[in-house]
Amino acid sequence: MNIAFYILAAVTLLGAALAVSLRNLVHCLLALVLFFVGVAGHFFLLRADFLGAVQILIYIGAVAVLILFAIMLTRNVSGTEGGGNSLGGAWWFGAGITAALAALATAAVRRSSLAATLSSPVTEQGIVKTMGRLLVTDWVVPLEIMAVLLTAALIGAVVVALEEDRKS
Amino acid sequence: MNGFPGKGLLEGLAVTAKNFIGSYFDDNRKERLFTYQYPEERMPLPENSRTFPFLVYDGTPDQLRCTACKVCETECPPQCIYIVRDSDPNGKPLQRPKVFDIDISVCMQCGICAEVCPFDAIKMDCDFERSQHGRFEELVAHLPSLLKSNDYYHHIKPTEADRVDATRKRVKKPSPAAAAPAPTPGPAVAAVLSPTPLKPMSPPADILTEDEKRAWLKGYQSILGTGPIVWPLTTKKIATTPQPPTPAPAAAAVATPPASSLAGGEPWHDSGLDLAKRMELAKDRSLADRLMAAMAQLDCQACGYDCRGYANALAAGVTRDVTLCAPGEDETKNTLETLLKEAGKL
Amino acid sequence: MDAIFQLLQNSGAPMPEWLALALAILLPIVIVMGLFLTVFAFLTWVERKALGRIQNRRGPNRVGPVGLFQPVADGLKLLIKEDIVPGAADRVVHFLAPVLVVVPAFLVLTVVPVAKGFVPVDLNIGVLFALAVSTASVLAVFMAGWASRNKFSLLGAMRGVAQVVSYEVPMVLAAVVVLMAAGTLSSIGIVEAQRGWCGWFVCKPWGLVAFVIFQTCAMAEVARTPFDLPEAESEIVAGYHTEYSGFKFALFQMGEYVAAITMGGVTVTLFLGGYLGPGCDLPRIGWLVSAGWFFAKLGLVVVINIWARGTWPRVRVDQLLAFAWKVLLPLSLINIPAMALWYFLPNRLIGWIASAALLAVALVGLTRLNAGRAFEKRSYRFIS
Repeated sequence: MNIAFYILAAVTLLGAALAVSLRNLVHCLLALVLFFVGVAGHFFLLRADFLGAVQILIYIGAVAVLILFAIMLTRNVSGTEGGGNSLGGAWWFGAGITAALAALATAAVRRSSLAATLSSPVTEQGIVKTMGRLLVTDWVVPLEIMAVLLTAALIGAVVVALEEDRKS
Repeated sequence: MNGFPGKGLLEGLAVTAKNFIGSYFDDNRKERLFTYQYPEERMPLPENSRTFPFLVYDGTPDQLRCTACKVCETECPPQCIYIVRDSDPNGKPLQRPKVFDIDISVCMQCGICAEVCPFDAIKMDCDFERSQHGRFEELVAHLPSLLKSNDYYHHIKPTEADRVDATRKRVKKPSPAAAAPAPTPGPAVAAVLSPTPLKPMSPPADILTEDEKRAWLKGYQSILGTGPIVWPLTTKKIATTPQPPTPAPAAAAVATPPASSLAGGEPWHDSGLDLAKRMELAKDRSLADRLMAAMAQLDCQACGYDCRGYANALAAGVTRDVTLCAPGEDETKNTLETLLKEAGKL
Repeated sequence: MDAIFQLLQNSGAPMPEWLALALAILLPIVIVMGLFLTVFAFLTWVERKALGRIQNRRGPNRVGPVGLFQPVADGLKLLIKEDIVPGAADRVVHFLAPVLVVVPAFLVLTVVPVAKGFVPVDLNIGVLFALAVSTASVLAVFMAGWASRNKFSLLGAMRGVAQVVSYEVPMVLAAVVVLMAAGTLSSIGIVEAQRGWCGWFVCKPWGLVAFVIFQTCAMAEVARTPFDLPEAESEIVAGYHTEYSGFKFALFQMGEYVAAITMGGVTVTLFLGGYLGPGCDLPRIGWLVSAGWFFAKLGLVVVINIWARGTWPRVRVDQLLAFAWKVLLPLSLINIPAMALWYFLPNRLIGWIASAALLAVALVGLTRLNAGRAFEKRSYRFIS
């Protein structure tokens, strides 16, 4: 599967590079979507099917749309702002930080014991079932807290919408 | 709320399903599917549908009603009619057109030509299948293709044709020109005159008997609201409300005067004579007679009267407009002006 | 796909591995795409004839016998039309939008089992993949509206996005009930879990409700009448695909219609027992019989789709969203405990009655809560 990895890596990197360097914001978003697709492909390559599907569902189906709405509501409608060389003057600074972070993350993953804990082959069936079981037994408190958080966000959105309705 | 949630939706589905199945198996499915499979079936048009004009002839194409008076040419808003009057071998002008062209790419189907024609010679056809492959010369209709018989006119517009026939019978008076035998048309004209065939309108294919057709068409027309018309499937003539006679607006005031003033006849009332000849024939007559002799002698009613009436109106001072005689053009206008100035009426 | 690969490997033919791999990948793709494109073409013809008969007219009947070649004529016509791109439009996005509509529609077909043993890829998370990929079309709708630089297109696109996003949630929740019953995300697993008498999930009370919800949401996802507000011609010119002509327009139509068929396929897999039916386990021709059953059920679902299209009027956009959030979402949420009741109650019969009762109460309660107020008779000031 090496060739698939290289192709996917190329696509992912291309998407990421375009996302930070294109001028038109909507084009940047589309490049970001390409990046998401590449990452989902990587997940599928690593046989983490569930994560791949969730990546597509959440990131492309929801996050990209959210960013799109944000772009539309806050920027120049034609989306041609952000002109000039998007890299800016201090690009070497950003590149340096990126390289440092990448090195740090690679070293951390290499030296950690993640590989050991995954020694037992867990099939996909197992992952979904295991995740579900863990969520409602060992990790039920964080689950409930997240549920409360999301409910609060939902109620907040409804309140904001109602206020606007009452104002107009 | 009545019924369980979704009841209305399911009832709607039931109605549609019934319609669907019914369109295959019901007895009235032929009428219910109202698609006209053109070109095999054509929709019967209502009587007053109109497309482009055509020229009517009674009997044979030689007996066309058109006298080339050029009123329709004058009145046509986009000026799509072109008329050239025919003349006999001696050069004497005849009351018939040699050239009658209608450019149907220009014609806007307003029907004004049919409205103003004093001879009921040009009427509006309902044939819409006039596409040609060219844009210019192919879309000009010449005289042969425009000539259609009175029977065709009755076929497409029975009510109107009946009315026109009744009017013509009423106002027909023997005129010297008509009493003389009709001059033979010039060879060029004779060569191109030919009767045009009727274009049949086809009813839905499985409705066969006349009663069925009549019943179906009546039902269809009643939906359209155009009333009980039996065109084009029968030749039954229907009783119509009596229409007012061909309008002559101010003619009532100066109606054809009593016969005494016509003592001596009207020898100048011949459109074949030219102006000088006519004025000489009317030399010693009354002002009204001389005014009438100055006109074109067509009784075309372009002026709103017939020739006699217009002359009487001018003589009586009812109107002072000398420009109304359209066929007479400038020579008539000048003569009328001179005569009226002499008489002190202007 | 794996099966073909194994077959090619073991057949002993002198075939290098990469060739076997390529064939194993390409063959299912070609078969499935060819099959479903033919089905798509045929179904457009069926839809036009059926809608015509419902609406008291004949459908197309000129091209070919009873108009069977009408899809071909349509395709040819759209293919040779001039491709017009508005001058101010964003060319890249304008070009990509139809592509992004068509691709997810076909991509979902990878996990729909067309016959016994005939799924292109037997993913372990098949249903999740199907739902995830079908939501990717929301981006395409927005791109189409945005790229046209046309306010009406943008408005249509926003409505389209709102509609798709709103109807995704009840759809996923309705599918969750099925996953609970089957215990697996794999599409073949779900089909196999529906074996047995009255084993189809649609025969159970929670399954019936879930089927209705899922099918309604699927119709709304692909913007089919009565939910075709984003593309209704009488509403907003043509919504987000106003500025498209020629083959791009054809791709939009094709993408939407194939998505409708594909979601129908997913519905059949989830609720109607996929390819199951009497005779699907026969030794040699079992796969053919099961394919016949699958397409029969798919035809049924598509017929319901067409029937609904010919019957119901279009809903307004606020009615649309209210329906999704106020009726379908609570109903699909209540469906989950109803299913749990059915599953866990000791006596099966009581389980049926309990879950059916809960769902009936929920349905009636929701519709009553959401019913608009009855308008009182109008009164006029100056008319006695």
